[in-house]
Amino acid sequence: MKQQWWIGYGAVALTVPGLALTVPPAVGQSALAGYSVRVTSAGDGPVQPDEGLTLREAVELANGTLTPEQLSEAEQAFVQPLPTGQGSRIGFDLPAGQTTIALVDLLPEIIAPELVIDGTTQAGYDASAGLDPKFPPAPVVSLTVAEGSEVARGLTIAADGVTVRGLSLYGFRTSDRATQTTPPADIFISALAPPVDSSPLSPALELFRIEDAEAAPRGVVIEQNWLGLPPDGEFPAVPSAFGVSVFNAVETTIRNNRIQNHDGSAIITGFRADGLQVSENAIIGNGLAGMPDAIRLEGAIASSAITDNLICANDGSGIYLFKTEGATQITGNAIQYNGRRFERAAVYLMGNDHQLSDNFIGYQPGPGVAVTAYPLSLRNQIRGNRYAGLDGLSIDLNTQGNTGVQDFQKGDGPNPPRNSYHRRRETGNAAINSPEFDAYSFASGAAEVTLTGTADPGTEVDLYRIAEEGFPYSPLSESLGTVTASPEGTFSASLALPPGTRVSAIASDPEWGTSEPAPVAAVLAADGTLPDLPATPVELPTCAAPVPPPAPVEPPPPLEPLVLTVPRNIHFALDRSDISPESAVILDQIAAVMLEYPFLTVELHGHTDPRASAAYNLALSERRSLAARNYLVRQGVPPERMRIVPFGETQRRSQGSGRVEYARDRRVEFVFTDLRGLDIIFQDQEADLQLE
Amino acid sequence: MRRNQRQLYRGLLFLLALVLSYCLSHAGPPSTVAQAQSRVFVNQATAQFDGPEGPVTVTSNETRVGEDIVPLSIVKTADRAAAEPGDVVVYRLLVTNPSSRAATPLTITDQLPRGLIYVPDSVQTTPLQPTQQVTTDSSLTLTFPSLEPGASVSIAYGVLITPDAVRGDGRNVAQASAPGFAPVSAPFQLTIRPGIVSDCGTILGRVFVDKNFDGQQQPGEPGVPNAVVFMDDGNRILTDPDGLFSLANVLPGYRVGTLDLYSLPGYTLAPNLYRIEDNSASRFVRLSPGGLGRMNFAVTPTFGEEQS
Repeated sequence: MKQQWWIGYGAVALTVPGLALTVPPAVGQSALAGYSVRVTSAGDGPVQPDEGLTLREAVELANGTLTPEQLSEAEQAFVQPLPTGQGSRIGFDLPAGQTTIALVDLLPEIIAPELVIDGTTQAGYDASAGLDPKFPPAPVVSLTVAEGSEVARGLTIAADGVTVRGLSLYGFRTSDRATQTTPPADIFISALAPPVDSSPLSPALELFRIEDAEAAPRGVVIEQNWLGLPPDGEFPAVPSAFGVSVFNAVETTIRNNRIQNHDGSAIITGFRADGLQVSENAIIGNGLAGMPDAIRLEGAIASSAITDNLICANDGSGIYLFKTEGATQITGNAIQYNGRRFERAAVYLMGNDHQLSDNFIGYQPGPGVAVTAYPLSLRNQIRGNRYAGLDGLSIDLNTQGNTGVQDFQKGDGPNPPRNSYHRRRETGNAAINSPEFDAYSFASGAAEVTLTGTADPGTEVDLYRIAEEGFPYSPLSESLGTVTASPEGTFSASLALPPGTRVSAIASDPEWGTSEPAPVAAVLAADGTLPDLPATPVELPTCAAPVPPPAPVEPPPPLEPLVLTVPRNIHFALDRSDISPESAVILDQIAAVMLEYPFLTVELHGHTDPRASAAYNLALSERRSLAARNYLVRQGVPPERMRIVPFGETQRRSQGSGRVEYARDRRVEFVFTDLRGLDIIFQDQEADLQLE
Repeated sequence: MRRNQRQLYRGLLFLLALVLSYCLSHAGPPSTVAQAQSRVFVNQATAQFDGPEGPVTVTSNETRVGEDIVPLSIVKTADRAAAEPGDVVVYRLLVTNPSSRAATPLTITDQLPRGLIYVPDSVQTTPLQPTQQVTTDSSLTLTFPSLEPGASVSIAYGVLITPDAVRGDGRNVAQASAPGFAPVSAPFQLTIRPGIVSDCGTILGRVFVDKNFDGQQQPGEPGVPNAVVFMDDGNRILTDPDGLFSLANVLPGYRVGTLDLYSLPGYTLAPNLYRIEDNSASRFVRLSPGGLGRMNFAVTPTFGEEQS
């Protein structure tokens, strides 16, 4: 009997230490010791006691997988313990000129809560250089991939309250291999990140814990970083795949970053991103060869907000919500020049209760805001925004359950008035009717003009001035005020508007959402004529970073009539879309001209010879335009000044069917627009003709 | 000139005389040719031979040449126009003798197509009863002693559709004959549907954004609309707004489908971290006859789209 008791005690005594060992460090978060660590070596490689402290060693110290005792004495000098309960801090003290940390492998997942990785501590960081919070000063410390290595993720964050500040991260992507890889990113935020691929070398995977909201890292902050571009601002030799991937995290904050040049989206959410705050970032020129949308939201995004960002010159939508759950707030952003490669809406909304206000949405080859019909999306309030230069409606509600390819990209155009209650079930924002003016023109009175019309009863009708001419649904450029429709469904507004003004209106109802705009009505003079208003010169916005105000210089001498000679085409080899060295010379000339004259914009028309199928050739011509565009981007030409227009085999250069004729057909033509009086001779050149 | 005219008149008169004489000679009593048409030649053969019990004389039936016999009529119907294996089809034949002679004896033959067999003892005849009934698997022969002028006989019988019928043509011919009557036949076309032995299968599938890289669709993993799936036979399938698709009437065997990544810009196939096989760009389904196959495609946001 007694013997049995002893055995029992022994078993308990043996298992208790075992239990304590199996508790992963992430659970025993409070037990983690905090250190203040200074990274002094830009090298990377296996952890070993040596002269300098690397970032890998610093992260392992913070994670508790490395103790200071395992370091050399020289390294221990850079580690100071912090009082218990305080998160670790990683600062940088790299020798000047060696501030690029080139990784050879994935850094360990960050599981230390409240860890701060602060690149602004590096000597030489000029915090005052930032003129605009959207364009933070150039970081000094950059984190990238060693040449010849492949690293899928820059930083992988799995702990609460981690802050990443003042770093430049670029070059994180994967190459083709036997299986596909999980999406790489500069910064990947998720509890238990998935392995990069499913090769036998990858760690064995237990089931994901993505359903458990408690395990998701909370309150991660990404600020003042340059993602996707090195500190010198050049296009990196190896572009990153995605910027910030908020895969499974709550209350993440992404603020004051410059996110540029990614193959995929700048910010993409995965399974859960509740409470995501994206504010005051400059998101420029992303989506070059992958997910084209600048901010792509998927999964749970309840109470998220996208505020005061500059979203410019990305290849798809500025913001695309794909089958999300929960509402987001999109306020104060400048969303312009997007849709460089895909003609999509500037903002595409799916889901209910989103709010879009005080944004500027413009220069988009598609509508401003599109609301999907499926899954049925309701109560989206889209008010107080300004629009310009759209190729579509300012607000486009998809109707009749339209779910074609175009409907998920560009919307379906103006809707007819609701003729049945059932329209509400198959139209975005429950088919709220757009207001209609009683006439296409209103005669101005002595001081004011009275605009009357009909709208859904009880809705609030926002009146807008229209600046652009020609199209009955031109973009809404400036708000003129709000009136409420009567219970009978009529509205009337008296405004002091000069004759010649053109107006439109949208209706909003808290129960349903915001409508499409009304067809434009004009204000006539008292004698019934429509005078032409003097055109106000529009200062076209750009995506450029603010520059310090230039020192006052003497006014330049009046410009002589300039005559420029610019080649207007480059040629390609049969069935190829890569840029030959000869074509690169031509492209360099074009890039030089575009850099010299920053107002020039260009359309890249891709063409092929007439062989192979039309669909194949269309794709091939698109690849050719893209290759030329990407080359120019690398030469520093801003992406917002170029548009891809593939023509396939529809517009041949020549008539015959010989080798020379086909070689002439295989080309990209550069069609310059907005010349501003510049006298340019466009030259057809054949220096780079490639015969088969 | 005048002389020529006179010669012409003379010639015309001669012609007129010829025509008149011909008409007169044929306006007389009916000719012997017309009489022969309504005459009936009855022909009967007799044979005599010396049997063991003295000379025997046997007489054949009569054949009648020249008699204007109204042929027998035969109508064939069934209780359905289409049938599947396992069904019993009830056929009805109605044979009528509209002539003025008795059809003696009357023989009715029914030939079945492949895969149809008679239900034993299912033959019913009214009002006459057959003197002889010969049934094989695929044919039925009934002999009646005589069908009087104006009389009819109705025959009903059941036929079982076996799975073999799918390979036959379903066309079945009944024939009635009697001495002195030209045989008449009536076909009936039955549409054979494969029914329970159909070997076409169905393929179901979905295209969705995989968040946990397990190849299965769970809550929070939305379907991708308008994705294109190509089958090995060239069928092009478009997913619905929920990312689902289905393909009916697929021939059984090994079927391959692949996702056209060009139809979903921004996405590529997701890695499957649990099953190596599901990392393939295409799905391979062994579709058993009448079976159900599944082709799920998990996708994930992409970068670095191929630049050739």
